[in-house]
Amino acid sequence: MDNEMITTPETEEAVAPAPVAAQTKQYSSFRHAVGAILAFFGISSKTHRASKKRAKLVGDIVTYIVLLFGTFLMVYPFWWMLAGSFAYTKTGAGQSAINELIWWPSVSTFGRGDVSPFYNYIETFKNGMSGTHNETFAPNMTYWRAVLNNLIYSIVPVVVGVITSASAAFSFAKIQWIGRNVVFFFLLAAVMVPGPAIMSTQFAMYTDLNMVDNWSVMVVPGLFGSIMTAFFIRQFLFGMPTSIIEAAKIDGAGYFRIFCGFVLPLAMPAIMAQGLLSFMGCWNNYMGSYIFIAQDSEWINLPHAMTVMNGEYGNDLGPIIASSVLCILPVLILFGCFQKLIIGSLMLTGSKE
Amino acid sequence: MEENQAAVAEESVFVEDFAATVETAEEAVPPQKKRKHINRAKLQDNIWGWVFCIPLIVGTVWFVYSALIMAIMLSFTGYSIGGPGSETLMEYLGKYSSHIYQGYKDLPDGSVALYTDAFHWYKTIFTSFGSLGGQNAAGEAFKMNVMGAHMFNTVFYMIGIPIGMFLSMFFAVCMSRDIKGGSVFRVLYYIPCVASSISIVYTFKILFNEHGVINSLFGSDLNWLYGELTWNKVAGTNIHSAFMDTNYWCQGIIQKAVIVIMSVWKGLGGTIILYVAGLSGVNAATKEAAQIDGASGWKIFWKVTMPDLYPVIFYNIVTSVIGGMQIYAEPVLLFDEVSGLGSISNTSGYVSLIWKYGLTPQKQGGPIIPSAGAAYGMFLAIIIFVMTLFQFWLDSRKKD
Repeated sequence: MDNEMITTPETEEAVAPAPVAAQTKQYSSFRHAVGAILAFFGISSKTHRASKKRAKLVGDIVTYIVLLFGTFLMVYPFWWMLAGSFAYTKTGAGQSAINELIWWPSVSTFGRGDVSPFYNYIETFKNGMSGTHNETFAPNMTYWRAVLNNLIYSIVPVVVGVITSASAAFSFAKIQWIGRNVVFFFLLAAVMVPGPAIMSTQFAMYTDLNMVDNWSVMVVPGLFGSIMTAFFIRQFLFGMPTSIIEAAKIDGAGYFRIFCGFVLPLAMPAIMAQGLLSFMGCWNNYMGSYIFIAQDSEWINLPHAMTVMNGEYGNDLGPIIASSVLCILPVLILFGCFQKLIIGSLMLTGSKE
Repeated sequence: MEENQAAVAEESVFVEDFAATVETAEEAVPPQKKRKHINRAKLQDNIWGWVFCIPLIVGTVWFVYSALIMAIMLSFTGYSIGGPGSETLMEYLGKYSSHIYQGYKDLPDGSVALYTDAFHWYKTIFTSFGSLGGQNAAGEAFKMNVMGAHMFNTVFYMIGIPIGMFLSMFFAVCMSRDIKGGSVFRVLYYIPCVASSISIVYTFKILFNEHGVINSLFGSDLNWLYGELTWNKVAGTNIHSAFMDTNYWCQGIIQKAVIVIMSVWKGLGGTIILYVAGLSGVNAATKEAAQIDGASGWKIFWKVTMPDLYPVIFYNIVTSVIGGMQIYAEPVLLFDEVSGLGSISNTSGYVSLIWKYGLTPQKQGGPIIPSAGAAYGMFLAIIIFVMTLFQFWLDSRKKD
């Protein structure tokens, strides 16, 4: 651990492991040999001093090994998922094969004459959630319907919600109005209310409003924006110079114009990052659909539909794993494209708080 | 939070300054014209300030605060959707005083009597008992408070918080060395955080099966998901005492371990990013000074880095405790929990009770009783609130 802590860049030239000059005590030759070996690996001891460059090199190698091991642990289940989606699990042998799968299924859909290599994916698309095959689903349910629902549930509320959050953030950060701080803390206090605590009441409320078992329960609450999103965009706007807004005001621009013309474009990095994060949250929102939408409704979203599908398929796990891969894929692609923005925004959270 | 308050304080100071300058300006110039102009600008500010944040206010009041108030009201009643009377929620709450929970109780002479008890559901939380496999010293079926058992599960899963903190600190320190590709690792470690937890649950279900990867890695043949691991099998003997019945407490411990492993794995990336951000904000000059003074790397880490990192760690603990109290989907899906009212699950968290009492009957065709769910929910909200307050109290004590 010691050598890993030293992070200052080494400027002097490399010094070969040499005996310490002012040596008063004599060490045995065995101790010298051990010291030399330790010095080679960048660890200073009483007999030999390791060069700082060597210490850094060894530390870097150890760090890489540790981080690569961690990366393996983080990524392996995803590789497993991909491999599992090509397992052929219609037979008993295939079912025990997917249970024993480590790198690649011994009974896979590849190289089989009777089924296509992408059998599990095709099965998911064709029969996975269709009402004719599975009785628990709505009669007109299909896989693509679930995907469409998920897209509606994650695009509409996020796009509208992020704009409403940004407008609230603009109001809190850049406009002076009476009661601003009171209202802000009133809203921030709502974060303290845990979601599960009010979920059964919300169910009763939405039943009253006729919002249960259709699209509106997943869309309407999101349209009003989210407090945390507004909070983060507000923090970002504090760093924006007020002089721009003052200048625009003097030039005769109204607040709406300022918001559309200056605040939205200038705060775009923060808005995009928050939007992407809430898109991912909405895409994976299992609880919302599970609570408010019955499983025999055609409005269930993809994660909910997957759990219903899991009940239908039982031990035939191939299509389940294939649909898991399909559920992760869009989010993963999005994250891959915008990772810099998202990680940067999260880092900002870490350094702010 | 503090940062934010400081920012707000700064802002309000700014506002006061602004007001002060305006006042002095007013004194200097002829009052009438100028005042009119200023008032109009201020009016504009006030109108547009409200207009811009009205959607968020409406949303919060409608979906959070009104739901919270209704939940508090409902928890003292016996409202059921699709039950007798078929009143809507607003009609029901309109005649609140006549809708306090009413139940029937048996009298000694065999007849039944109607009684009113506002705290019925809250009493239910503490008085409903369920049995789970295992016997106590006297050989009777072991009975246990349902809420207590589920709360025990929830709290058990919080073992993952210190484990995750230690691991993510370790990886964050590794990543903040000046190595090439540090940011690539950050991205790779964050992947589990963005992945759907349903997909992950289905994958882990197979990874942890009897013939799965984990067992072949360790050469074990543990039944991680459906096996019963009691204290008997670990220690060869049972402990029976008033406080502790190992037959119960250690049941399902291996299933709980799977959940802990999964939640640590899934949450690691987010914490790592927080810590890396925190580590990059540590004062480099202090660190260098300590180094020149001959402090070892270990000492620098504990004496210089850690105090600077404390706010991030505190934030992380608070948010993970709040999140950990709300665990629901992972254990329920991983272990296919199917259990009726009054039964104890040795894996499900507290939230599954809110689901069971407040929402499940509807899925099974019966009337749904939001009142029960609301009472269980309010109890959870109070516990989370108290825990958060306790943490902030500890925090304030540390600073003195």
